[in-house]
Amino acid sequence: MKNRIRGLFTLFLALSFLFAFSGLAAAQEIKIGGIMDTTGATSDVGKDYAIGMEEAFKYINEQGGVNGKKVKYTWFDYGYRIPEAITKYRLLKRLGVVAVQGWGTGDTEALSPTVNKDQMPYVSASYSAHLTDPAKTPYNLFFSSDYSTNARSALTAWFDKKWPTKKDYGKRKPRLACSYMFASPYASAPIKAIKDHATMLGFEIGDDQDVSLFALDTKSQIMAMKQFKPDVVWHGNTTMSVAATMRDAFGLELGADHIMNNWALDENLPRLGGEAAEGAIGATPCAFYGQSYKNMDIVVASAKKYSPGVPQEKRLIRTIQAWANALVLWEALIRADKAGDLSGQGIMKKGFESLRNFDIGLGASPVTYTPTDHRPGTGCLIQEWKGGKFQELSRVDLKQRWPEKWGKDWLGW
Amino acid sequence: MTKRLALIVSMIFIAAVALGACATTGKPTAANFKAPKVTLVSFEVPQYDEYWYFAASVKPTKGKAGDRGAFLPMSFLFDVGNPNDFPVLLEGITYTVAFDKDFEVITTNINDSYWIPANKTSQVRVSTLVTVRSALTGLLLANAPALKQRGWDAWGTLEKWWTGVPDLSVPVTVKNAAFTFKADGLIKVVPFEATVP
Repeated sequence: MKNRIRGLFTLFLALSFLFAFSGLAAAQEIKIGGIMDTTGATSDVGKDYAIGMEEAFKYINEQGGVNGKKVKYTWFDYGYRIPEAITKYRLLKRLGVVAVQGWGTGDTEALSPTVNKDQMPYVSASYSAHLTDPAKTPYNLFFSSDYSTNARSALTAWFDKKWPTKKDYGKRKPRLACSYMFASPYASAPIKAIKDHATMLGFEIGDDQDVSLFALDTKSQIMAMKQFKPDVVWHGNTTMSVAATMRDAFGLELGADHIMNNWALDENLPRLGGEAAEGAIGATPCAFYGQSYKNMDIVVASAKKYSPGVPQEKRLIRTIQAWANALVLWEALIRADKAGDLSGQGIMKKGFESLRNFDIGLGASPVTYTPTDHRPGTGCLIQEWKGGKFQELSRVDLKQRWPEKWGKDWLGW
Repeated sequence: MTKRLALIVSMIFIAAVALGACATTGKPTAANFKAPKVTLVSFEVPQYDEYWYFAASVKPTKGKAGDRGAFLPMSFLFDVGNPNDFPVLLEGITYTVAFDKDFEVITTNINDSYWIPANKTSQVRVSTLVTVRSALTGLLLANAPALKQRGWDAWGTLEKWWTGVPDLSVPVTVKNAAFTFKADGLIKVVPFEATVP
């Protein structure tokens, strides 16, 4: 009898320990940081991205997190100011994050040496091609085609689909002009690439026009462009200033088509640009909010569930971009965790760099990262705002079309 | 033998009390998880540094030059009432602050956790800030259409806000807010919007 009581008591203690430790196991969490712009020079596109990212991590946790480990996502607004981004990165590191969801080109490139030294996987909303060569930036990543690929793809699509419809086709070289903020690392990142591409395709290239990200009046730049008479203008800024430039181009009868980077082509462009936005062509690394693609139902349901106060009509493609980056990181964490290595190097090598044609849905191209190439995709979907909706113009695959240049010449710029 | 019996009875009694205590708190389910009630109790500017702005071209007495303006810290006090028979965890708040109703000046969040006891109301204080520079950026970008629509100019609007928000002659709105509550793995997000005064 005495032994039985001892046995019962031992069982009681064992169960107590079991409950205590299962509580600890449940409390295990993976910390992820976020550096977002909800008040700065790119807040017109940054706010929706920040909200979308938060919704994505809430969804991820409701799906069990990373192999049962909860994700603790902590984000800050840095106002698109590089010193603030550096301060916030240091804070996140002190908080023990294992990876960071970052934002702009200037801050991501400024932080790149630090994150690479720290071996901190840094998934950014900057798709600068400067971040795609692992020999130089081994811990920088993003899901999207890079800006240079976007620019080359947009110009290729225009050259293939629009130039042959012009009256001067076959009579002279097509003319390209670039409109962007010279001092903006984001806006200037793909300029060298698009000019290289234009030269390769036989374009004549006009003078660049310096247009601020805050520009509301661009008449002087349009007047300068009119002297060159471009057939197509590359817009490297974000939605607000591109809409203003397109309005002025329309009003002053520039007569050119407009192609643009992905941060200009969104649901707000036609709202702000009005009839001037008709025919806008741009790189779209993923679907627009609510378009019928795999996993879009999850994104829309999560937006309604986790941000019920934000009107659906205000949601943008930026939400989808945030989700795409979150889903790529989630998959990398799951793989690294299964391999028992959630160190920065583990997340990179056993996570990200094990992805081969990983399908995140959302209209994005399948994602591949290798130890020698962090360009996630080989081309870009080009869409056009036409007749009141976004329509697919062309899906350009640069690697397929120029395999040698893609493989040898175009990595990292 | 009597001691042994007493020990067994005691253990059963303790276990019963423990289980009973659990049972009386109620188990959250999707059906019985009622939305907590959020109310904005007060708003204040905890520190006021007036209205000023220096462009990057102005050399400062000390430190680096830059486009810098006065900070405007803002503090919001909320009542969070839990109508449930079980405690809920307020796990995060995401919200936007707007001046003059339409002009969104910051979207931000807090990830701090607060337990709200069953059938009790707790107070949660949330603080954030904007600067003349960040508000100016907003007026030139996301808020530019609203500014144009009202026929206001950016600098005049900023001065009005920096002098008017502290005494609430300019209305301050908390909008697009999402209060995320958890109970035993269940999530309930409560939307919130309020304007003072």
